Amino acid sequence: MEVQKEAQRIMTLSVWKMYHSRMQRGGLRLHRSLQLSLVMRSARELYLSAKVEALEPEVSLPPACPSDPRLHPPREVESTVETATADGEQPSPEPMDTQEAPTAEEIPAYSAPRPAKVSRKRRSSSLRDGGDAGLVPSKKARLEEKEEEEGLSSEVADRLQPPPAQAEGAFPNLARVLQRRFSGLLNCSPAAPPTAPPACEAKPACRPADSMLNVLVRTVVAF
Amino acid sequence: RLAEAANAGPVGGVERDASVRGDSPSASTHTPPRARAPRLSPGALPRAPGSTPCDQRPGILAPRPPSAPGAAPRAPHPRSGRSLLGAPPRPPARAGSRARRRRRRSGRRARPPAAARRTPVAVAACGAAHGPAAGLASPRAPAPRPPPRARAHAPLLFCQLTAPPPRPAAPAADQGSWCLCQLNGAADLEVSEADIISTVEFNHTGELLATGDKGGRVVIFQREPESKNAPHSQGEYDVYSTFQSHEPEFDYLKSLEIEEKINKIKWLPQQNAAHSLLSTNDKTIKLWKITERDKRPEGYNLKDEEGKLKDLSTVTSLQVPVLKPMDLMVEVSPRRIFANGHTYHINSISVNSDCETYMSADDLRINLWHLAITDRSFNIVDIKPANMEDLTEVITASEFHPHHCNLFVYSSSKGSLRLCDMRAAALCDKHSKLFEEPEDPSNRSFFSEIISSVSDVKFSHSGRYMLTRDYLTVKVWDLNMEARPIETYQVHDYLRSKLCSLYENDCIFDKFECAWNGSDSVIMTGAYNNFFRMFDRNTKRDVTLEASRESSKPRAVLKPRRVCVGGKRRRDDISVDSLDFTKKILHTAWHPAENIIAIAATNNLYIFQDKVNSEMH
Repeated sequence: MEVQKEAQRIMTLSVWKMYHSRMQRGGLRLHRSLQLSLVMRSARELYLSAKVEALEPEVSLPPACPSDPRLHPPREVESTVETATADGEQPSPEPMDTQEAPTAEEIPAYSAPRPAKVSRKRRSSSLRDGGDAGLVPSKKARLEEKEEEEGLSSEVADRLQPPPAQAEGAFPNLARVLQRRFSGLLNCSPAAPPTAPPACEAKPACRPADSMLNVLVRTVVAF
Repeated sequence: RLAEAANAGPVGGVERDASVRGDSPSASTHTPPRARAPRLSPGALPRAPGSTPCDQRPGILAPRPPSAPGAAPRAPHPRSGRSLLGAPPRPPARAGSRARRRRRRSGRRARPPAAARRTPVAVAACGAAHGPAAGLASPRAPAPRPPPRARAHAPLLFCQLTAPPPRPAAPAADQGSWCLCQLNGAADLEVSEADIISTVEFNHTGELLATGDKGGRVVIFQREPESKNAPHSQGEYDVYSTFQSHEPEFDYLKSLEIEEKINKIKWLPQQNAAHSLLSTNDKTIKLWKITERDKRPEGYNLKDEEGKLKDLSTVTSLQVPVLKPMDLMVEVSPRRIFANGHTYHINSISVNSDCETYMSADDLRINLWHLAITDRSFNIVDIKPANMEDLTEVITASEFHPHHCNLFVYSSSKGSLRLCDMRAAALCDKHSKLFEEPEDPSNRSFFSEIISSVSDVKFSHSGRYMLTRDYLTVKVWDLNMEARPIETYQVHDYLRSKLCSLYENDCIFDKFECAWNGSDSVIMTGAYNNFFRMFDRNTKRDVTLEASRESSKPRAVLKPRRVCVGGKRRRDDISVDSLDFTKKILHTAWHPAENIIAIAATNNLYIFQDKVNSEMH
């Protein structure tokens, strides 16, 4: 989990850096962009391999997993960031909300399916980003709830889609994705100094999706 | 700036091309389209006129209109002042002569009457807009003469090394006893970005030291010859000349600004009384000629002293003009401008040992130029893949062999070195030797690829070895062994566990340089917290020293520093977490013959000398 969180954080960071390098004086630096894309690729590989590893023991996932959200749809003020809309169009995993969560929980649209046996475990495993890796999962959920309630749009239907079978799912076209992603990034922290991208990371907007990664990497390379 | 540049558009639409290319204004301005360099057969001479590929033309570069002479938009160059060290306490008996001594020092030493007083008047001529004809000594120097003494923040006193060198107390002789010789630069806490030094280079004799900064300026220091009056004092490096080498430019085709930061300076071997150097920014290389003028013809028949025509009725006799001595003036003029040769950002230049050609390397290509020809260059290395999505490595540094004019090496972002022989083929895509060390799988991490990228490569003076610097190590390679380096030194291995935070604050992308000493026995490189490290190859000892105002008293021997990584901690150790990563020493240079080093710490230039071991061994 740590590994995946770390990988995702690094991916976000890389994209942020790449985006901002375009605005630097002197134009895009080829070497820097190449290094950023290499880091992103290794982070992505790590993320995917960690996900695959996590998937294997959960082949025997009970069907109760996807039924949870259906049981408690009204409970959730489903909130996702606007960029998650794009990602949400991809198959999203089962929701993290559990019976323990009294209020809305934010659901990153691309967490891998996790065993439903321990709801706490599911929540923590589905949690992405949020900054501190040392937080206890329940605390993390609350943290993200607070961020959620800062006025993000909500998506309900996304939750009910089946978990992603593979990395290459249907994904929206490039322009829309990029537009949403970058507008999300822009809304994140436009004034953040280059050395403080964590401000951006903390916002759910900056999480890349599984199939989004392909798009991003390709975009970045095409840069 | 965009508006400015746009307004400047119609001005010199024709002469702009000519001036940018450095041709004489009368030359034809029609630029033949640059066809792709023909791949010549192996038997063809490498000097056959190739041309740079047409896709390398980055678009019309419009030089920004230079600031009007007279307006002094730039503050006096912070490094143009004198050394900022306090002088050692002078013996009280000679208090009366202090002022006299200082004045004499500012007027240089007593010399033969011909060059009595040298004043470092900077004659800056940024040639891009004026064309190569400009640059003659003009009475109205665009750059104001650096105020001799008035620096608001620090008293200007000279480092007078009159006392005999102190007895080496603690440091072992083989570690050297380095003392701060002088320090040039502003002491302000807020450093303007334009003053950050971006390159340091000694010339071949060590008499001159050139520094370039992010604002496009070059400052040249000259070592004072040792005075007979004070036999113990070593020569100090005084400002010799300051000029604006590059200006920010705008590439209209790509809508990109081209930074004026000086990436590299390389001296040409001196062939006559003048000195020449090449300075480059991201796109354009310029050849500057530095000459001295200390005589002036006087006594013209038709013109008077100011150059005005005389009234012929006042001319009663004829005279022959004579050369009279004058205040020494240092003139700098751009002799050649090598532009439009690179699509990507130039990272290094290197002068060939044949003293006629040089090469410039950007991320994907290396071009060979002739020093006298500016409108064409020969492409000798091209690693651009057909599909840019397949790009996996870029060129990071390159250098010619010091003795063999056909050999050069270039390093890549993957940590490999390629030695190429220009006799083998016109296009040296195929290397003659590939120096690569297999990666240590135990050190693999997210960032392995970034930290293995070679940031600098330097041939040893003997030509047998190469020194490479990647993020955490310096390695010495033997040209005869390609499998692995013969020596590897850890510069700051304690950072290996901190790579993630270094990635966040962008420090992992820092490009450190490395340097050999004159006898190739010691190698030096910079690190963080204004530390720099020296490794003695013979004794296998290394030392970490710090370049800072606080810890450098004049003539006091530098104390070795240590970074503690847990375990036993000594009193003056610094912990890894308290290192200041904004203070980095990227650029260092070593005098070619003596134990004198120049360290660039942000906007300050430190010059250290090892007086105990002034001879290299």
